[in-house]
Amino acid sequence: MKMIRAIVRPEKVEEVVDRLADGGFVALTKLDVFGRGKQKGIQIGPTKYDELPKVMLMLVVEDGDVETVIDTVQESARTGSFGDGKIFLTEVEEAYTIRTGEKGI
Amino acid sequence: MKEVIAIIRMNAIQKTKRAVADLGFPSVTAEKVFGRGKQKGLHLFPPATINPEDGKGNGMRYIPKRMLTMVVPDENVEEVIEAIMETNRTGMIGDGRIFVCPVNDAIRIRTGERGEEAI
Repeated sequence: MKMIRAIVRPEKVEEVVDRLADGGFVALTKLDVFGRGKQKGIQIGPTKYDELPKVMLMLVVEDGDVETVIDTVQESARTGSFGDGKIFLTEVEEAYTIRTGEKGI
Repeated sequence: MKEVIAIIRMNAIQKTKRAVADLGFPSVTAEKVFGRGKQKGLHLFPPATINPEDGKGNGMRYIPKRMLTMVVPDENVEEVIEAIMETNRTGMIGDGRIFVCPVNDAIRIRTGERGEEAI
């Protein structure tokens, strides 16, 4: 299993979530986060925004589905300008459902 | 070392923290998150149905949850998972999920210790 953490624009979240749900990836967790990238935030006139609001989507999928999810997120979250976000992939060894105690997602 | 990420009910945070502290793992990071599981959130009309087809777009797309992140040594992972599962189990949908991820290294910023001593 892999955990996919996608940091996307807040206004794109619903689109990404809907596209993922269409692809059969309904379960996810979202967090409001602040961050910056290589551009060190954004400068509009005299005001410098050091940390920009983003939304982190976190979902755990089987190894075979990773590519599909990444493609879906990339397609739906892309606008072409700076600040579209990043996707990180990490290993998950075990997953449990608390209600039943079952292993696996 | 393993990172145990538990996504649990909002009102279960205190007793979960107490349960893991009793095992000797008082250090946790807690966060308020929004999420949904296989049931695609919570649907209303008819009340509290869990089937998205019955809901017809009414209801909550995301449910507020608490995310608890803790790093524990390899040999204690099982008991921590058991404790979290027992304290959070109500038998109803929405009890949450636990993920176990590998952690390569841990560093305590104050002293610069690395590895198992740092957690």
